Order: sequence, then C-alpha cells, then structure tokens
Amino acid sequence: MSPAEAAWIVLLLPLLGSVVLGLGFRVWRGAQAGIIGTASVGLAFVFTLVSLISLLGRKEEGTRQITSSLYEYVNVGGVKVELSILVDPLSLVMLMVVTGVSTLIHLYSLAYMRGDNGYTRFFSYLNFFVFSMLVLVLAGNFVLLIVGWGLVGAASYMLISFWYRRNTATTAGIKAFVINVVGDIGLVLGVILLLRHTGTVDFLEAFHGAKETFGEHGNGSLTAGLLLVMVGAFAKSAQLPFHTWLPDAMEGPTPVSSLIHAATMVTAGVYLIARLHPFMELSQTAQTVGMVVGCLTLLVAGTIGLVQTDLKRVIAYSTMSQIGYMIMGVSAGAYFASMFHLATHAFFKALLFMAAGSVIAAMASEQNLDKMGGFKKAMPFTYGAFVIGGLALSGIPPFSGFFSKDEILSVIGEQGGAYWLLYVAGYAGAFLTAVYTWRMIFRAFWGPPVEQAKELEGGHLYHAPDHRNPATGELEDTEVGFPGPEHHIAERAPAMKLAMGTLALLAILGGLLGIPKVLTPLEKFLEPTFEAGLAGHAVHPGNGIIIVGLVIGTIVGAAGIYVAYLIWGKPLSQGQPATTHSSKWQAKFAPVHRFFLNKWYFDELIDYAIVRPVRWFGRFAHDTFERLVVGGAIVGGTSGAVRGASALVRRLQSGYMRAYSAVVLSGLAVLLVYFLTQS
Amino acid sequence: MSTLAVTEAPHIDWAGISSLIALFGGAVVVLLVGLLRARFARLTLVPVLTIVAFAASIGLAIWQWDEDTSLMSGALGLDPLAMIGVVGIGVAGIAAVLLSIGATAPREAAHGEYHAMMLVAAAGGAMFVGAENLITTFIGLELLSIPLYVLAATELHRRRSLESGLKYLIVGSVGSATLLYGFALIFGATGSLDYAAIADQVAAKGLGDDPLMLGGVAMVVVGLAFKSSVAPFHQWTPDVYEGAPTPVTAFMATATKVAALIAFLRLFDGALIGASDAWGPALAALASIAIIVGNVGALGQSSMKRLLAFSSIAQAGYMLVGVVVATKLGVQATVFYVLTYVVMTAAAFAVIEAAERESGHDGISALAGLGRRRPLHAIALTLSMLGLAGVPATVGFVAKLRIVQAAVDGDYSWLAIVLVVGSMISFVYYLRVVARLWTDEPAGVAVAPQSQAVEVEAPEAVATTTAVADPKGLPAAAVPGGGAVVVTGATILPMTVLAVVAGAAIVVLGVIPGPLMTVVEDVARAVPELFR
Repeated sequence: MSPAEAAWIVLLLPLLGSVVLGLGFRVWRGAQAGIIGTASVGLAFVFTLVSLISLLGRKEEGTRQITSSLYEYVNVGGVKVELSILVDPLSLVMLMVVTGVSTLIHLYSLAYMRGDNGYTRFFSYLNFFVFSMLVLVLAGNFVLLIVGWGLVGAASYMLISFWYRRNTATTAGIKAFVINVVGDIGLVLGVILLLRHTGTVDFLEAFHGAKETFGEHGNGSLTAGLLLVMVGAFAKSAQLPFHTWLPDAMEGPTPVSSLIHAATMVTAGVYLIARLHPFMELSQTAQTVGMVVGCLTLLVAGTIGLVQTDLKRVIAYSTMSQIGYMIMGVSAGAYFASMFHLATHAFFKALLFMAAGSVIAAMASEQNLDKMGGFKKAMPFTYGAFVIGGLALSGIPPFSGFFSKDEILSVIGEQGGAYWLLYVAGYAGAFLTAVYTWRMIFRAFWGPPVEQAKELEGGHLYHAPDHRNPATGELEDTEVGFPGPEHHIAERAPAMKLAMGTLALLAILGGLLGIPKVLTPLEKFLEPTFEAGLAGHAVHPGNGIIIVGLVIGTIVGAAGIYVAYLIWGKPLSQGQPATTHSSKWQAKFAPVHRFFLNKWYFDELIDYAIVRPVRWFGRFAHDTFERLVVGGAIVGGTSGAVRGASALVRRLQSGYMRAYSAVVLSGLAVLLVYFLTQS
Repeated sequence: MSTLAVTEAPHIDWAGISSLIALFGGAVVVLLVGLLRARFARLTLVPVLTIVAFAASIGLAIWQWDEDTSLMSGALGLDPLAMIGVVGIGVAGIAAVLLSIGATAPREAAHGEYHAMMLVAAAGGAMFVGAENLITTFIGLELLSIPLYVLAATELHRRRSLESGLKYLIVGSVGSATLLYGFALIFGATGSLDYAAIADQVAAKGLGDDPLMLGGVAMVVVGLAFKSSVAPFHQWTPDVYEGAPTPVTAFMATATKVAALIAFLRLFDGALIGASDAWGPALAALASIAIIVGNVGALGQSSMKRLLAFSSIAQAGYMLVGVVVATKLGVQATVFYVLTYVVMTAAAFAVIEAAERESGHDGISALAGLGRRRPLHAIALTLSMLGLAGVPATVGFVAKLRIVQAAVDGDYSWLAIVLVVGSMISFVYYLRVVARLWTDEPAGVAVAPQSQAVEVEAPEAVATTTAVADPKGLPAAAVPGGGAVVVTGATILPMTVLAVVAGAAIVVLGVIPGPLMTVVEDVARAVPELFR
C-alpha cells in the first residue's frame, strides 16, 4: 500500500466512527460505543504505521513528499483546488502523534467517562475531533487547511461545552470559539493575501515558487500575509494575547483537556508555522514576531502557573508555556527540535492530564489544589505517572522533555546576538516550569492525607454528598455533568492504567528520538521536508553549546524542583499549619502574587479594551440611535398623527411603513447625491 | 394588398418561451381544478398539478439550455442565465408547494387561487430573470410581486398575516415606483429600452458620467436593492417574513432572491457595465451595509423567521459582491451562491414549518430537543445553518469561497474582508440554533406520536387551531374528538421529504461541487458586455 493510500484510510476511519456513533446513538448506549470509537482511532493509528513504513521504503531523493488528490474540488478562474493530501515526513510525524495519543486517550475515556450519560455522544465528538485534526494535518493545499482549521475549532467548541447544562462550560466553549474565530479570520485573510501572489493553492507548488514570487528577502505582502496567518496560529495555540480561552477550556471533561488542549489541537499553530517554513524564512519580521510572542508566552504562562490553585488550570498554563517554546523554536528555524518537543510534550502532557483526571475523580470532581494532599499512598500508580510526567516536563535527564527542550534552546543559542535573550528566557522558563510542576506534585500527593485520600486508603472511593460545579460551587443535577453517578480512578480501571502506562513509557523513552549527535532518527526522517524548501541557513548547534545546554538544563530543572520542595514539600516541624512556607512567600510577594493570580489581568485588559467599547457601542446604537432617531423622530412624529385612529388601523398603519418608506427614500437621496457627484 | 399600416408582429419562438407557458398554463389549469368540489381535487390534485407545472418549466428550461438568443425583438433573453433562473425559481416553487400541503394558508385562500398565484409569481420571476428590456423587466417584477403581496396576506384569520401583506404592498410599491422612475431616466438618457442598445449607447456616447443616466442608475439600484432586501432598503423584510405564512415566506425568501439577483446581474453587469465606475463603489457600500446590518440584526432574534429574514439580508449582501466586481468570475459566483442559497433556505423552512405546526409558533424555543424527537429534521436544519454560515464540507462554504475569490480577483479585497468578518459574526446566531436543536429538552411541548394532542400555548396559534379544526379543509390528520390539534407523521411527511432532500444536497454539493460548478460556468455567456 502506498503511503498516500494508507493516509486516506487514516483520514476516513475517524470520520466513519463519528458518523456511525452519531447516527447510532440510540443503539449503542453502553460500552459498545466506546469500543467503536476507540477501534476507529486505533485502526487509524495502525494505518499511520503502514503509511510510515511504506514511506520509509522509499529511498530515492525527492520521493518522500507525495501529494495525492482524490478529485478536483473547485476550478475557477485558473485557480484549481483539489481535494488533496500531502504525505511527507512532517505530516507523518504529526499523524503519528495525533493518532497515537488519541488512541490512548480514547482508551482512557473508555473507563473514565463510563458513568456519563452522554457516553456515545462523547465518543462521536471525540472521533469527529480526531478527523478534523487529521484534515488539518494532511491538508495538501491552503483551502483544505482552512477547512481543517475551522472544523477543529468547531469540534473543540463541542467538546468544551460537552456538559452543556453547566453554564460555565457553555461560556467557556463560546469563549474558545470566539477567539478561535478571530484566528480563523486572520488565517483566511492571510491565505487570501498569499494566494494573490502565488497563484496556486497547492502547498508544494507554492513553496517551490516562493522565492520567485516574493523575492529573495520577501516583500511587504508576504510579511502581511504571514502575520495574519500567525494570528490564526497564535489563537489556536493559545499564545499571547489570544490565550485566555485555554484555561477556561478546562471546563471540558479531562480526557478532552488531555487530547485537544495538550497533545493535538493546540499544537496546530506550531505545525502551521513549520508547514509554511519556506515562506517564513523569507520574512525576517514574521520570524521575529513569532519568536518574541513565543518567548513572552512561555514566561507569562509560567508565572501564572505558579499561583493557580485549580489543578487542571496549572497544567493548562503549563501547556501554553510549552507551546511557547515550540512557537519560539519553529520561528527561529529550529524545526526539527520543535517537532521533537511537540511529540514529547504530547506524551508527558497527556500523561499529566490523565493523572490529574484520576486525582480529580478521587476527589469527586474537586479540582482545587488547596483541598488536596497526601494521595501518595492512596494512589501509587497515579502518583508514579504524575512524577514521571513531572520529571519529563521539568527537563530532568534522561526523561524525554530534557532532550527536546534543550535542543530548541541550543539551536537558538547557536545563532548568537539577540537570540541570547531568548536563550536565557528559555532557561528562566524552564526553572519556572520545574517549580510549578513540583508544586502540584507536593501539594496533591505529599503532606498529610486529606479526608478523600484516607477514605481511598480504606478501600472506598469518596463520593461528594451533592454535586457541585467545581468552578462556581453551584449545585447541579447529575443528569449531565461529571462525575455522574460513578467515577473512575486509574488504580481500579485497567483501561486507564494501560493508557497511562504506555504514555509513561513514552515520556521516559521519548528522548531516544533525538539525543543530539548520538541518536537522531527523527531529524533524519524530517530532513526531506525541511531541506527541500530551505532558504539555506539550517542551523546545526556545535558540540560546545549542546553540552553546556544539557548541563544548564539539568541544573535549572533540579534547582526548580528543590525550590518547590523548600516551599511546598518540606516536612513541617510540629505545630505549624500546612501552608506555612507558601503563605510566608505569598505574604512577602503579595502584589506579585496577586498579579500572577489574576493572570496578568489579561481577561480584564481584553474586557476593557475590546468588549466594553463594543458593548457600549451596541447599546448606543440600540438605545440612542434606534430609539431617538428611528423610534422618536421618524416613527414618533407620524404616529402622533394617527393616534386617534382605531386600534386595528394603528396596528396596521402605525407609521412604521411610513418610516420604512422614509428610510427607502432617504437612502435613495443619499445614493442620488453620490451618483450625481460622480457625473 | 392592404393599405392599412402594417405592424409586423415579432416572430415568436414558442419553444423558447415554453417554460413561461408551462407556468402560466399551469396557473390556469390549477385555478380551474381548484373550482371542483371534490376534496381530492382540491387537496391532492391541485398541489400535484402545481408541482407538475413547476417541474415542466424546469424540464423545458433544461431542454432549452444550449440556446443563446433573444426572443421577441430582444425583449427576453433565452440563455443559460435565464434558464438557470427558471430552474432556481422552479425548485423554490416545488419546495413552497410541499410546505403548503396541510398548511393553513391555502385552505383559507382556497387551494386553487393560492397555488395559481404561486405559479403566476413564478412566471413573473421567470420573465424577470430573462428580461433584456426595461419594459419586460418591470412587467416581470410586478408579475412576481403582486401575487406575493396577496399570498403574504392569505392567512385571513391572522392579523399578522394581513398586516404583513399590506406592509409588503405599500413599501413594495415605493420600491417599484423608484425602479420605474429610474428606468424612465435611463430611457431618457439613452433613448433606448433594450439592454444591448443601452450598453451600446453608454459606450458610444460616454454616458458613464451623464447626470440623467446616473440619476436613473441610482433609482434602479434602490429599486432592485429593495426587492432583494439589501440594507438599508431591507426594513420590510423581517416584518413581512415573520407575518406571512411560512410556506409563502419560504417562497419569498428563495424565489424572489433568485429573480432579483439575476436581474441585478443582467442589468448592471450587462446593460450598465459602461457606468460601472460609478455604481461599483455604491453597490459595494450597499453590500457591506447589508452584510453588517443583516448579521448584527440577526443576533438578538428569538423568532426563526425573523432570524432568517436578517440572515437573508446578509446573504443578499454576499451575493451582491459578485455583482459589484463585474467580472465573469463574479457572475458565476453570484449564480452559484444564489442556487445554493435556495437549497439551504428550503431545508431551513421545511423544518421550521414542521416545528411550527407541532408547537404553534416559530420561536427558536420550538426547536429545543428536536434532535431527540425528530433527528432527521434536526440534522437537516443543522446542515442548513452550517451551510448558511459557510462551514467547510457544506455547499455554503464552496459558495462563499467563490465569492471571496471573485472579490479578491476583482480588486475588491476590502469587500472580501467585510464578507469574511460578517460570516464569522453569523456563526453566533446560526450555532445558537444548532445548539438549541441538540441540547435542551423542550419545556411543556409534548412529543407527538400517533394520537397525542399537542398543547398549544402561544396566543397566535389560536387562529391556527380553529383553522385546522375547520372540517372542510381538514387534512388527513383529522381528530375524532375535534378541537385539539393533532400532528401526525402524515402531516409532517412532505416537510420531512423536503428537509432530507435539501439537507442531502447541502452535503453532496459541498463535497462534490464540481458538476454544479460546471453548469454555472455557462451562465457568463449571457452577459457578453463583460467581455468587450
């Protein structure tokens, strides 16, 4: 089977699963639904492997980038759009990550969501999301990319608002959707701008002609187009200032957070920039913007993550921060390193979310870190998984995150000059990462066990007396919404255990994909994509900087863990309350703490800068203009004359029609004046 | 040899006007059959004959597809643009007839008259889209409009319906008068009524900046903008859409839009192409106003019909973009859009009509939980909403893509931006409807399986109730006990069929738009002025 044929099957399977489940939701209410959903994605992973093996079989130069077209979609005015996919090493790496991690998350959900009333609906949505993501990844041209981009946004909206009876969930879904739509507008406009010059929508054709089209050093319209496209990338990847939707998106079920807000969807922006690298390299401005935004995001998100008390939100901010590394790297030309980090991050972040889900289930859907503690003994498996994920995230050797993060930073450091600022910021971010990661571990698993943990140690899973929304504390029904009548933890559900175990293994061994200078299978594999269109300044970091980087990385990570230990982990001397160390720190840095706790006031900033003026304008238009001008002057004047007429007449001839005619005529007057000035 | 002055009657190409004849002939036959006393004749034969007439006109239009001439001394064009207009109007007509089965309006207005008026309106539309002469344009427009004024008021017992008809009549007359005045000025400036001759005159005499000419153009813009409900000449639309019986609203929303947009294309991209420097920016401004007003206006609506009215204003704005750019691509894009719009709107109205019969009102709340009760309807309406919003994999996406492409190609990039931003706003209200379909259980509205009475709460529905209980025109869903409204599968069946067919078309054409696109390629032939 050729790589492209297999890829088409990969694309088809989740769609099939979603449609079958969507139509058959009356038939398959129980476990069958989960099995169908998981099987479709699992098979997709198998066919991804087939495609990979088939592609690896092609040894000759230039045969590893295949555009396969199903049929011609649109052909007008010389612009031909085909329903085509591009199978090349880059898309295959993404395909591996997406289908692989998705399969595991489906497996996890099989047990985790078992108690939910919307079980079938959940798997149908989840399959649909995977399909959308695959469209985005496999797209062989700009139009299909936009299609996938839009579908992913829609699927994400559906999944975040999955518990639709929860106001907070629907609000979060809408917020995510709106911000994503802003990104979509950017992407569409950017692509339109680029297409005006390239004359073709096909990726490979456009890339081959990039230099002829835009010149050796790019031009204004290339930069403008790319910046607009990057708005789309930033919105989807939750980069500043479009990031506010991601923490709120944690309203979705935990497997959703794990799948789309850690491993797949949010990496779309990274993928997009990597895909468009032949364009990016022609525009210094676009590259700089990407690097600066990525760098700022990784720092800002890291600081916010330090002080959040919601377990899932801490991980969400961590995701933002890690994506910041990737965006920074991919904009700085560290393509391979960024894709490497994308893959390892998918492993350990999905793992962390799964472990968090297990803890949250044990807490009966309570997500507040302040109320957790001492789960180490009660949940040894979850604890182990969390620690492995945490070590990988903090960049401790030999875990996977260690190699991939340092690879990005060493490519950046190698370029010298102003890049050193990014280099330093990257390691500062790594320090923050280690601190907030281990803060979670120390607070949730160490210390004296809370009531829920004690109950679990006694062999019984804690159930809350009544169901409350974890975000607002409101009472809610169990009809829709977690945890339903029952909930599941990793310790007791083999499916969850299997999924987490596999990911833990990957989080440990993922580094083998790219140990600098020693073992670089991923880099070699990705070469055809990144060499073909390269403007010629591929950066290969020297031995010195690699070794320095590895050493600094280890020290920074270890230091971060130690600091976290001092504040949150150190056993307390007798008589002190549990939060002594951390509250001392909080008191010392109260303004900073408040600033971070309020997420740098980004939501407020957007509210004041955009939402309020728009709302004010809307009110003005409605109250003042409609009422006074239309209602008062036009309608009011005439209705006074007919007030004496009978009710029916007034109803039928209330003056509205005159008002309408008046508007028609005044519109005509304006047009007449315009046309006469044209003469 | 007669000594009388001989006026030579123009040669009449009967085959060329055969689809018009089918519609007019159908109207006469339907009117007569409607007089028969047998229930079967009124309730079954009349709709069937009406559908046959519409189908015949579509068939004849397809038969005449390859023709490309002018008929009757250049009064009517016989070309793919006209024929595709006839097909679009015919499809809209068939949809409206299906929606009328078992509805209140035809019963109150008498079946024969109701359906005959629909056929006459369609004939007017067919004339309007083929007109190549100012006089035929105006006759076609009036022939389309006058029956619609009446149809809007056919639910005689409902004041909103009467109000709607009256409003439409009065405000519509203002539009028609403006258009006619504009025609008069154009005639004055060019001395000609034929489109081709007008185009020649404008080119030859350089009338592109003649005040008389441009004054006429301004008035024509207003007249046509009114008919196609382009803001700021749209105010009648929400009131009339909401007040008119739903099947009539569906017909107005689809057939009128097809006719008005194609007339726009013929007149502006054909006869008035020489003055495009003057009208281009003005129409572009109107299009963007329509896009903004329509989309923003739809945001707060709670009635589905009002929501679709505002949405149709925005859609008219999108379609106008293809006229503005005055290119071959633009013509094709607009025609493609208008056809897909017919399909998407028909699907929506089918579901709304069915829901209205079940719940007694057309509020969005009537749709709550439809996903559970009637999954087919819910899927169709979902597809329709997604299509109108322009979500990928629906035909609406392809249509929008083409319009955007035409705008960018025609150097109206800013208009493309307005369009994209506008359609992003539209997601809010379209998705609100979709969310309603699939989430909440309906409150207080009982599910209606076989013989369970539906509680009707809305006060407006009282009239509907009495009308349905009227023993004479009672459809198959007669209630033994009388009084209560019973909605069975049978009454809803035509709506279900239409919803399923249209919904399937939205997806199929969205995934495989190639064939329809090839068909639309031809239409640009009809406006040769573009290629001079």
